[in-house]
Amino acid sequence: MRLHPTKPELTARRVEAIGFQVGLQLAERYTKERPRFGDHLEAIKFICKDFWAEVFKKQIDNLKTNHRGVFVLQDNRFRWLTRFSLDAPTSGNGASSGEPNPANAARASQAAGQYLYFPCGLIRGALTNLGVPCAVSAEVSALPACSFIVRIKG
Amino acid sequence: MQAGPGGGVVGSATRMRCLYLFNRQGVCLHYHVWLRPVSVLSRQEDQKLIFGLLFSLKLFTAKMDPVGGGKGQLGAAQLQGQGCSFHSFRTDTYKLSFMETPTGLKLVLITDPKMGDLREAMKHIYSSIYVEYVVKNPLYTPDMPFKCELFNQNLDNYVKTLS
Repeated sequence: MRLHPTKPELTARRVEAIGFQVGLQLAERYTKERPRFGDHLEAIKFICKDFWAEVFKKQIDNLKTNHRGVFVLQDNRFRWLTRFSLDAPTSGNGASSGEPNPANAARASQAAGQYLYFPCGLIRGALTNLGVPCAVSAEVSALPACSFIVRIKG
Repeated sequence: MQAGPGGGVVGSATRMRCLYLFNRQGVCLHYHVWLRPVSVLSRQEDQKLIFGLLFSLKLFTAKMDPVGGGKGQLGAAQLQGQGCSFHSFRTDTYKLSFMETPTGLKLVLITDPKMGDLREAMKHIYSSIYVEYVVKNPLYTPDMPFKCELFNQNLDNYVKTLS
């Protein structure tokens, strides 16, 4: 995030592009022994199960689709966000409170968005190399859960 | 249940009073308070006093060591169990426990005087709470003061199990 401190959009694109390259090559590596995928859904299921398990040691928890080329991959405990935490706001005498703060949780969810560009690129790269051109975006509702939205192109 | 000064609720079974975390330079990275009815000094003075105390006591215990080499490596980080460093002192009203990690991080715990040996507890606080929730937090800049929420929550939960 320090590459372009004043231009977050440039950083986002750069990081996503790096993720894309990594995803491309990881997909190559993890499907070495397998035959080609029959259709888009099989490729997405591969991402949800085997790919996610290799990279994050767990599978995607929930897969939804509108059967019109949009898939939502939900991870209820995304490994790279489990330790993500903002500073607690000071309360008067500066003593720390142990109670979770809902406003702080909302800010944390927003800040986490920046750290999801790389995984989006990862998914996009992997799917592109498996023959599924797509666009991937991410949403954080409540840390450490997040969703990746895959929109198939063409 | 009584409310601690920070607004958090502290069980009456908890006998922890405060916790300080210092880095090698003496900057207080974190100050956590559960029960502190009387505070004589300002926050800054209090932290400087504690750090100065630790420094002097470590030097003193190293010099007075009847068994060790007496080299007294000032400020150099040592592995756990190596060298000779004090680990606690007790008065009528409180017990102060101290632990230094190989990275030079100093952990100070002020508790009820009846508490037993807290060395295992401090090791747990360092390895399973500080390292997990602060060091591994992508938003944390090393060596800076922090007030990380996950750290606070997990520390409070852990402390409730000690007494």
